[in-house]
Amino acid sequence: MIEATQVATSPEVNKITSPAGLDIFRKELDSKLDPNAPLLIVCCGTGCQAAGSSEVVDKFREVLSGIGWGGKVIPLVKPTGCHGFCSRGPLVIIEPQDLFYQRVTVDDVEDIVNKTILNNEVIRKLQYKPANSKEVIPRASDIPYYAKQTRLVLKNIGKVDPTEINDSIVRGSYSALAKVLTRMSPDQVIDEVANSKLRGRGGAGFPTGLKWESCAKQEGTRYVICNADEGDPGAFMDRSLLEGDPHSVLEGMAICAYAVGSNRGYMYVRAEYPLAVKTLTAAIRQAEALGLLGDNIMGTGFDFKVTISTGAGAFICGESSALMASLEGKVGRPRPKYIRSVEKGFRDCPSNLNNVETYANIPDIITNGGDWYKSFGTERSSGTKVFALTGNVYNIGLVEVPMGISLMEIVYGIGGGIPNKRSLKGVQTGGPSGGCIPIPHKIPDINVGYGKLAEAGSIMGSGGMIVMDEDTCMIEVARYFVNFLVEESCGQCTPCREGLIRMREILNRITQGDGKEGDVELLDEIGNFTNNFSLCGLGTSAANPVLSTIRFFRDEYDAHIRDKKCPAGVCKPLFHYDIEAETCTGCGLCKTKCPVKAITGEKKKTHVIDQSLCIKCMECYKNCKFRSVKIM
Amino acid sequence: MKVLNIVLNGKAVTAKMGQTILELAREHNVFIPTLCDSPALEAAAMCRLCTVQVIEGKWPKFVTACNFPLRRDAEVVTDSPEVRHGRKLIIELLMARCPTSPELQRLAVDYGCDLERFAPLNDDCVVCGLCTRACEAVTGRTLSLAGRGVAIHVDTAFQKASEYCIGCGACVQICPVNKIAMEDVDGERRIILHGKIASRVKLPQCTSCGKHFGPVIDLQQVMERMGEHKIPPPNASVCPECSRRNLAIKLGKRYFEQYGVFEDEEGQANAG
Repeated sequence: MIEATQVATSPEVNKITSPAGLDIFRKELDSKLDPNAPLLIVCCGTGCQAAGSSEVVDKFREVLSGIGWGGKVIPLVKPTGCHGFCSRGPLVIIEPQDLFYQRVTVDDVEDIVNKTILNNEVIRKLQYKPANSKEVIPRASDIPYYAKQTRLVLKNIGKVDPTEINDSIVRGSYSALAKVLTRMSPDQVIDEVANSKLRGRGGAGFPTGLKWESCAKQEGTRYVICNADEGDPGAFMDRSLLEGDPHSVLEGMAICAYAVGSNRGYMYVRAEYPLAVKTLTAAIRQAEALGLLGDNIMGTGFDFKVTISTGAGAFICGESSALMASLEGKVGRPRPKYIRSVEKGFRDCPSNLNNVETYANIPDIITNGGDWYKSFGTERSSGTKVFALTGNVYNIGLVEVPMGISLMEIVYGIGGGIPNKRSLKGVQTGGPSGGCIPIPHKIPDINVGYGKLAEAGSIMGSGGMIVMDEDTCMIEVARYFVNFLVEESCGQCTPCREGLIRMREILNRITQGDGKEGDVELLDEIGNFTNNFSLCGLGTSAANPVLSTIRFFRDEYDAHIRDKKCPAGVCKPLFHYDIEAETCTGCGLCKTKCPVKAITGEKKKTHVIDQSLCIKCMECYKNCKFRSVKIM
Repeated sequence: MKVLNIVLNGKAVTAKMGQTILELAREHNVFIPTLCDSPALEAAAMCRLCTVQVIEGKWPKFVTACNFPLRRDAEVVTDSPEVRHGRKLIIELLMARCPTSPELQRLAVDYGCDLERFAPLNDDCVVCGLCTRACEAVTGRTLSLAGRGVAIHVDTAFQKASEYCIGCGACVQICPVNKIAMEDVDGERRIILHGKIASRVKLPQCTSCGKHFGPVIDLQQVMERMGEHKIPPPNASVCPECSRRNLAIKLGKRYFEQYGVFEDEEGQANAG
């Protein structure tokens, strides 16, 4: 019986004492790897874990160890970070065939081992079938969802075991750091990053090279801080990076520290990401044990220590000065000072704060050069961006696309289109600070980039992307985000605090059917005031969801206020369902689905809804195959 | 020190490097309304009433005058229509919280506010944070801003009557809308916040006349904050009134007893 070619950290690791030593170590690890060895990659991102992938991993190990292999190589089970295709989880990929299995449960494990692994037989029911198609796509790399992406930042995620540093080293982790420490001066590093035109991935899009340069110019102790306080509803790019490829982020931070002349790093992770904190803690420990972080990195004399600090569930702590206040142990509220944190930030020292994704981009830029990075994306927005695609779209999950890609391509090409025969109404980007882009009706299409999105009244944000179909009420969307901010604002400054209270009040009124003439103008007035007069980034963008929906969906506001109708059928007091006599076939489906028995009618005759009983639960509307149930 | 050339409301003036717009405006008798500003405390820029427009580069931007440091030559407009409109909204919104404040009422007239637009919130505080900042400067332990999101409010720790209050009354004195009260009853000083007792400080009883006075400020705590550890708290067992009278009696005895003018009044002079 031959043991699987496993790259495991032996307990007595030898510290890597020179950059060349890292190369030797990698070659040594690489020579042990057999590219044709069977491998079972199980996605263990938070989404798949929630769907039971940890149990799948355990079951695989149990089943595999219970078989006599008789000289054959035992397949290695490798739990990895998030593959991104969360709506199909738990995912299993079988290498080297690149077989893609979706929605794998514990009960399927024995079948997979007995049929696929032992007899090369494919299990059809676990294979991926695109929406509206009967053909299965067996290989992961052929699935349009993956094939149409450009994965630079996410290249290792789903390939490496994040709990095992050697697995990352084989794939090139820390080689950029070695290059920087041996062959580049701090100025050269900054020049390379500036040349790449990388812009901050946290949302505002500040040029990273410029930020590093101004931080490097400062005197005294400098800090390198990573913002992993990702709080936008529905966004999980940073979490996936930290859970799936923590070493790329740590390496990026170390390179930044070298460039700006710091030797102390902090990682501010939100406490709601326990798996990310766990993975990261283990990653730092392993890197320090190998001498790739900590004191005297790779024997070059460069020190860089990273500490993890967890947030306490405040969205506002994603704002730079609030984050630093929170790091210092103070209340996480933005600092009312007109001074940039690269001059005076954490502990009143120059601090370089970047987003997780920004740091994760750095190693590749160093390895391949800024020109290579610039070849992706557009002139003003270079590189790729990871988006969390969600909402009314077939394929929900993480996608990485080059900047400048058309939004329609993301929704239809990668996302697979809108389910339930509905049509697209708009896409919300940028989370609570962003806006709704009304594609394809009012704006035919838009190329995703910092400038283009801002023109359309939205922002890039950290990468949340919510697809909305025709059944979405835009006033409800605005109300949702305002409600979110009402909870998450720090409440310090008058415009944000009072403005949000009033906007919520007016939006509640409109969705309840009590909207008055002049409400939209008042919303617009308060919104512009809040955006101009507030203290921090949250306040100055708090009204964006309201302002952008007013700009593009004014007719919907008018319908709510003047006609007392919700055209999308969301605001319950403002619509009712009716069955259209001409198209109703009397199939009786709605009658059986109705939970309150409000629908009556004989077979093959038009059914009727009793409005006094109807609770507007949408069951009849969703289930009618002939779309005879109409929103009135 | 570098001198900056500033155009303040169309008038050319000079400013010192790092000077705030509010300081400059006051120097030149330009009125900018403020609610949360106090010269004794660091600016917090919370009320945003002092917002003005500054043009440093191409575009005008809104900044708060109380803490925006002038670092470059710039143009400052303190009373543009946009600024006035924003201030009007701030006052309208704050008046809905706190309609009885004379300060706000006066500003509302100045800015032509329409007080019917927003339904009253019936909160008696404008959340300017002055009391919490003053408290922090004195003891740092009693009042702070609590609550999540827009529900932010001034409160004591865990909404309990605080043990750390020294009864100095700084919060009462600094509140721009006069909504914090202080009263001395039943041998204790009470700070009343949102109609609730926020702290009780025991008042010492005068060993001479028996009246309550004080409070004995916990000097130990104050000294510690100032970095002085060795000074013992003063002996304050007698109220200031008695202390003054007793001293007068003592002096009177010393200088006038020999002339027979002074008569002892039932041993009162001995008490001091």
